[in-house]
Amino acid sequence: MVKKGLVVKAKELKTDVALVKNLELSIGKIIDDTWDEPMGPTPFPSMTDLRDWDFKLLQRYKPFYLPYCDVCCLCTFGKCDLSGDKRGACGLNMAAQQSRIVLLACCIGAATHIAHGRHLIDHLIEKYGRRIPLDSGGLNIDVEAPVTRLVVGVKPETLQDLEEVLDWCEEQVTSCLSSAHTGQEGNNIDFESKAFHVGMADQVGMEVADLAQISVLNLPKADPEAPLVELGFGVADVKKPTILVIGHNVPSSVGIIDYLTKKKMLGKVEVVGICCTAHDLTRYEPSAKIVGPISWQLKYIRSGLADLIVVDEQCIRADTLEEAQKVKTPVIASSPKNCLGLKNRTNDLAKELVDDLVEAKVPGVLILDPDKAGEVAVEAAIAVAPKRKRFNIIPDLEAIKAAGEACGGCNECIRACPNNQPIPEAMKAAALGDLDPLATILGECVGCARCDSACPKDFSLHSFMIKAGEEKLWEEKFMMRSGRGSISDVEIRNVGGPIVLGEIPGVIAIVGCSNYPEGGEAVAEIAEEFAKRRFIVVLSGCAAMSVATVKDEEGKSLYEKYPGGFEAGGILNVGSCVSNSHIAGAAIKIASIFAKRNLRANYEEIADYIHNRVGAVGLAWGAYSQKAAAIASGFWRLGVPVVVGPHGSKYRRMLLGRADKKEDWYVYDARTGDRVYVGPAPEHLFTTAESKEEAIVMLMKLCMRPNDTTKGRSMKLTHYIDSHKRYFGVMPDDVHLFIRNKMDIPITMKPEILKILEEKGWKETRIPDPTLLKRMIRKRG
Amino acid sequence: MSMFEDIPVDVGVIYEGERIRRKNMQVELGGPKQETKFELVRAKKMDEVEDEKITIIGPDLKDLAEGSSVPFGIYIEIAGKNVEEDLEGVTERRIHEYCNFIEGIMHLNQRYDIWMRLSKKSFKKGLNSFTHIGKVLARLYKSELPFIEKIQITFITDPEKIKEMSKQALEIYEARDAKARGMKDEEVDTFYGCTLCQSFAPTHMCVITPQRYSNCGSISWFDGRASAQVDPKGPVFAIEKGELLDPEKGEFSGINESIKQKTLGAVDKVWMYTGFGYPHTSCGCFEAMAFYIPEVEGYGIVDRGFKGVTVNGLPFSTLADSGAGGRQVDGFHGISIEYMRSPKFMQADGGWDRIVWMPASVKERVKEFMPKEAVVATENEAKTVDELKVFLKEHSHPIVQQWKEAPVEVTPTAEGEEAMEAAAFPVSTATVAAGGFRIIFKNAKIHAEKVIIKRVDKAKR
Repeated sequence: MVKKGLVVKAKELKTDVALVKNLELSIGKIIDDTWDEPMGPTPFPSMTDLRDWDFKLLQRYKPFYLPYCDVCCLCTFGKCDLSGDKRGACGLNMAAQQSRIVLLACCIGAATHIAHGRHLIDHLIEKYGRRIPLDSGGLNIDVEAPVTRLVVGVKPETLQDLEEVLDWCEEQVTSCLSSAHTGQEGNNIDFESKAFHVGMADQVGMEVADLAQISVLNLPKADPEAPLVELGFGVADVKKPTILVIGHNVPSSVGIIDYLTKKKMLGKVEVVGICCTAHDLTRYEPSAKIVGPISWQLKYIRSGLADLIVVDEQCIRADTLEEAQKVKTPVIASSPKNCLGLKNRTNDLAKELVDDLVEAKVPGVLILDPDKAGEVAVEAAIAVAPKRKRFNIIPDLEAIKAAGEACGGCNECIRACPNNQPIPEAMKAAALGDLDPLATILGECVGCARCDSACPKDFSLHSFMIKAGEEKLWEEKFMMRSGRGSISDVEIRNVGGPIVLGEIPGVIAIVGCSNYPEGGEAVAEIAEEFAKRRFIVVLSGCAAMSVATVKDEEGKSLYEKYPGGFEAGGILNVGSCVSNSHIAGAAIKIASIFAKRNLRANYEEIADYIHNRVGAVGLAWGAYSQKAAAIASGFWRLGVPVVVGPHGSKYRRMLLGRADKKEDWYVYDARTGDRVYVGPAPEHLFTTAESKEEAIVMLMKLCMRPNDTTKGRSMKLTHYIDSHKRYFGVMPDDVHLFIRNKMDIPITMKPEILKILEEKGWKETRIPDPTLLKRMIRKRG
Repeated sequence: MSMFEDIPVDVGVIYEGERIRRKNMQVELGGPKQETKFELVRAKKMDEVEDEKITIIGPDLKDLAEGSSVPFGIYIEIAGKNVEEDLEGVTERRIHEYCNFIEGIMHLNQRYDIWMRLSKKSFKKGLNSFTHIGKVLARLYKSELPFIEKIQITFITDPEKIKEMSKQALEIYEARDAKARGMKDEEVDTFYGCTLCQSFAPTHMCVITPQRYSNCGSISWFDGRASAQVDPKGPVFAIEKGELLDPEKGEFSGINESIKQKTLGAVDKVWMYTGFGYPHTSCGCFEAMAFYIPEVEGYGIVDRGFKGVTVNGLPFSTLADSGAGGRQVDGFHGISIEYMRSPKFMQADGGWDRIVWMPASVKERVKEFMPKEAVVATENEAKTVDELKVFLKEHSHPIVQQWKEAPVEVTPTAEGEEAMEAAAFPVSTATVAAGGFRIIFKNAKIHAEKVIIKRVDKAKR
């Protein structure tokens, strides 16, 4: 890796053997080239270095635009109506505008992870020094930082090595963002390529952030048996003072734990978390607890359970301070990115801050020093708790009944609800004293409270639901396996055999946010369906939490029932949002481990390898933030398909393959150079599913790859056909496209499939050594 | 048009792994409560088998008391032009797989240790006779293993009959094992190649012989024979072994031709029984890695399950990476555990006389097959190369003899060694000397545009 230059000046230097006067030694760059893997073609790639690869993918998976806004209002030329074949004042058409918005979303997402990484690394360097070695998995990992190796060509070994990687990431976001300026890029495919580019930088940024915190804070290192931690609305002991942390960047939460540890008070104060900070909190200290995913924020705050709230960054409700004030809970903001309008009191004495918060002189403070934030949070929570006495604003039954009677049934709430929940009907029932319908809605509610804002009578509808569902909420106590970090090399070696022998049909990564169309239980059902069928199920973020919230008849969650290793039927929580990079990392390591392909700055070749060989598919069932867009984008460039829930159409475009166009599905056989038809595998790069059943069937289909062995393909087809029949009642109409020779036919379905093949005029093809890159063709002899 | 329309329950791969708990169980067949149980496949002549005949000796499923446990046997006779005794074992192991495809049937273990359960739910759906199970097995066998032209299946629940038959079965298993163990590479004309892993490692091919299992430990010569029979054009195929070019190293003309063709010339010669010269290549999923330790001139072995560092200071993950990817790398050799039980194991390098270290758990697994005089240290005896040297000397390992004959100087590779590449030194005055002299630099300005730090490998030095 490159280190900045060095200048040494010495006026006079005298030793036994030498006398040196006015010495000036300057070195431009110090390049540590002890990594013997040869440098690949694209070190520190620029925006255009991988454009050819993007164009290959986008040729096959053409963008299909779903504008959910017809105008552009990004500059003062506008607003410009872009509907039909109109162009805006700047000359841009609808396709380019939609892809430009996709690019903007990805830039915001990538910037968020990268800035998160920068903050974390600056903080860790300041606190622990630059030379702390990186270690993501001890002896079981030889290929640590696979994404960074692959993308920029650097093998980071100490904390300081991550800085130049972040420099590169930041430069990419700036460049990509600049191309969205009015009068810059005009072509939609180029916008898409830049979105891919910034998605790739996002994966690097995430890896850097997680690698740093795993190494320095000693979070679980590729541990399949990472500790089980408590999760749920009811996990905290209400008799103890409770600190609630919300967000994604763990230093202030670490500050809390460290202070408690120092004062020997660990266990005397409850520390609970929401969203990814909660993941990282329990990775740091397993006795801390998780309330739930982002959608639990209002439920928890309004119920008055938090005596103090510490927010850091990302996915925190913008009205946290207002909501907290209603229940007399003081707030500490701890991130420069999310100051909530509070006064910066970083340099004030901790005691003064505690007093001001306890005496409610201020609703909250901004403390940018994580350790100080930790100290103030603990001391203030202890003092506030007896004063607040769990003060809450959840209405009683009478109030809800009265509201039900007063409700005019105007339907504004149902219009505002993202999941179209029948709130007016539930209010009618409430008027008659029946709160069950409101409780049912809470089960499917994503906690956005748009109904509250929409109600012309100002009823606090979300609070009504919380009251109605109270009993069930309090029963919410589950076990989740804490985030394990990366996948070890040895685990990857172990699954090589089972994958080629068809015993593991694929890898399903369930990631993303919790605005689910059918409630969080659907995510758990999807995960279990795949684990039962011996797929490997990898989870992160809010999805990893939701999966914990379903118990079997013995009261066990999926994490207790299924193994936590990267193995058949494994259910793995990799960790927080930034841990998503380990999922990409595992796919990348497959190329290094099995084929001994060089990773170093060799992105195109490895993406081609993954796209054609690694049967991994992502699912973001509750699509939501710009970060999710950036994460998906990183997977697209690696050639890994992503499925999103119904809300995902709001990402404004899909990347859909056309199974009916035979010419789109040819690859080179690297052995011979022939062009070989391989069928639509994988059929799409980005698509939506309207129901969980549709998602399951689509995920199974998208696991197929041109390199599948016949055993592997027959198993993948078995699951695809079986689930299609189970959920839709019929044989899928495209089976013949996925059968290369008769050995691919699922073993228990032979007669019926042979009949279909005959009807479709099917012809046998061969299984190539597949690649989209002409340069990968190996010469004979 | 389904294959199993007349079967009252569903049949599919997705039921594999289905667990049936005692309280949901209609009946238990075999299992830990029963002393006698077995399943057996026998190759028969065409006229000895009546195709798809199903016989039940003893009470049928519907006649067994709910919740009861009974002794149990499955006896399958197969016939066909290409059916031979060598395929019996492979065919027999499919009973487990196929039974588990049936909704509401759980089948565990094999041979004399089988354990089956039928769920109440499937029983109520009408799965109340062995005839249904027999039909499923017969159809799957004939569809999947086309060398089976005729098949007849007998289910036995009669205790007396089981006693009698299981005794015979035990004798047959024993004879089969003895034959498999005694089988030599010299005695067969055909080996098998496996390119399943080429879907991930495009230049790797395993050669499977009676005395060398596939690297992954999953495919024996018998498995290879069956697979190649079923799908001759598939990823597991026959290799005519051709001329024996070197009996010691294990070089065969047929293997060379086949590997050259299958790897497009990336590899054109293989010596089967050595880790040097032209060793058998390694993909990525080998069970263990034999790694040469130059300091003691012997091999260490480490398997995937070993979590610590080996005697040379490197863990499995690093060692494995040195040999993977379908390459021939001297001294880094991916192997199966089963190969360690073979008399041909690393024969050309001295076999067990060259093996100096392995994890205790591996030693435990193969100890029956180790020569009595073999001396192998584990992590309990030697954690470093120095400790290993002491151990080998103390226990008079045969390798110690060789040390005396040809002392080899060993240069240890130091971690993080750095060397500076020469940069131009524009120096105005310079007196440079060494040892006892003075060096004087005046007004020296040294500028190096770049300093590249590289690790210098042993060969270069």
